[in-house]
Amino acid sequence: MTADTAARGAVLNGVMTDQRRSLVLWSIALAAIATLYIGIYPVMGVEDMSAMVDDLPEAMVNAFGYDEIATPAGYITSTVYGLLGPILLSVFAIGTGTRLIAGQEEDGTLELELTAPVGRARVLLERLGALWLNITLLVGVVTAVTVALVILLDLDVAIGNVIAGSTGLLLLVAGFGTVGLAVGAITGRRTIGLGLAAGLAVLAFVLDAIGPTVEAGWMTAISPISWYLEGRPLFTGADWSGLALLAAVPLVATVAGIAGFTRRDLMT
Amino acid sequence: MNDVVIRTQGLVKDYGTVRALAGLDLEVDRGEIFGFLGPNGAGKSTTIRVLLDLLRPTAGRAEVLGAVPAAGGPALRARIGYLPGELAMYGHRTAGQLLRYLTRLRGGAGSDGIRPLAERFGLDLDRPIRGLSKGNKQKVGVVQAFMHRPELLILDEPTSGLDPLLQREFLDLVTEARDAGATVFMSSHVLSEIEDVAGRVAIIRDGVVVDTDDVRTLRHRAGQLIELRFADQVDAGTFAQLPGVEDVAVDGSTLRCLLRGEPDALLKAAAAHHIVAWSAQDRELEDLFLDFYRAPADDRRAREVTY
Repeated sequence: MTADTAARGAVLNGVMTDQRRSLVLWSIALAAIATLYIGIYPVMGVEDMSAMVDDLPEAMVNAFGYDEIATPAGYITSTVYGLLGPILLSVFAIGTGTRLIAGQEEDGTLELELTAPVGRARVLLERLGALWLNITLLVGVVTAVTVALVILLDLDVAIGNVIAGSTGLLLLVAGFGTVGLAVGAITGRRTIGLGLAAGLAVLAFVLDAIGPTVEAGWMTAISPISWYLEGRPLFTGADWSGLALLAAVPLVATVAGIAGFTRRDLMT
Repeated sequence: MNDVVIRTQGLVKDYGTVRALAGLDLEVDRGEIFGFLGPNGAGKSTTIRVLLDLLRPTAGRAEVLGAVPAAGGPALRARIGYLPGELAMYGHRTAGQLLRYLTRLRGGAGSDGIRPLAERFGLDLDRPIRGLSKGNKQKVGVVQAFMHRPELLILDEPTSGLDPLLQREFLDLVTEARDAGATVFMSSHVLSEIEDVAGRVAIIRDGVVVDTDDVRTLRHRAGQLIELRFADQVDAGTFAQLPGVEDVAVDGSTLRCLLRGEPDALLKAAAAHHIVAWSAQDRELEDLFLDFYRAPADDRRAREVTY
């Protein structure tokens, strides 16, 4: 890697240039959704929601985390941070992550880069860096909208707690994206990366949702969604052990991805 | 040791159970234009991908500029210009943006080479790649392979997609690069595309090099098509035995055959008859090339002995 002639960040910059259009569209969509959901909170009325939740079966309330929906932190968790944010951002992260190595290897657009004087590990790391930068920017958009509305609508949520929630959200979805990128880099097949990463994400949601209901502690113990939300970051701030577990996922995936990508045949 | 730029010894590459290269031996000397010929699927691109460290050999050894491709890594690839056989590029960028991006991957090497090459080939750098024709995309490929004046050019089917005028221009560019000291390794499935510039040629078939020779020797080996018209009927049998004479066909008083080597014996035998007319036509190298494809391995070996 020391012999690379490429300027530091050349690959990362190239990917960011290609991603500009998609990044702008996703930013607008996420900002609109976050604004819509948080913006209607004051209109809905606390009593209405409490009454609505009381009517629901208890299992469902637990599964969707609606037990605290009447509070601003609970409402924002149940809508933006616990549901739409993770789902939409996971779609972006996994879709983009699997395309950045496996997808572009399959369609041949990676060939000129891989035959340039850039090492394979460097190609992977800079492309991964670009993925994280993209996701960080999108989580930043969600965070900015949330903080702005919390201040504007005078909601009872500490800004520090929003930041803590955003950190968890970033690690969660970027972790899924990294798994997608790494599996794609190891196998060279985008569909395998998509399948495994999306499967992991769905499993994480399902285990987190049904774990408390069926009283199976192991389910929430192994679900990244539980690592992210069980510490109730928007109420209590950063849950360091949860964040550490979330950070371990992309780290392991990255190490495995580099090991696989530098050893195998590239079929650009 | 420095004189050999590309060397493969017993190179084997398997894709699962399919053997793409079956013990490929190749030596390309510094400063030559080396043609690498074979039909589609013979293993040309696989060989090239091993040289560029996209593929790792199953067995055998490859060396490029004195280094094993995987060990040479980025530093080795900095000295190579590569034109892929099937060029895929990003859609949203313009040709100029992509080329400038590729020079950044080379630490800036070649940034001054883009404009002159683009002008030479009439490539509009401001147009998005997505809207370019196949020929224009191929021009982008040519520019990025040559822009940094590499010591070794590896060109996979470089003339495909270029119209005849540009093919000429491209072959001039290849010759100029060679004159400037570069080594050129170019593959093709059509010999006529490279026979004017290539010094030596290797013919690959089913993952093995079946013949390596000067283009001149190959042309000699291709032989001549001889037609002799006699005043009387002649007997095919007496001519078929002659050295260097093959494929004798007699149609009444006209004899046609393939002659490789000296015409002496044929002419002396023919002189016993009254010759009305004669012609000798150089065979296209293409025909020789086809001989190698058609001949099963055993038959080919038998024929090589008789050369």
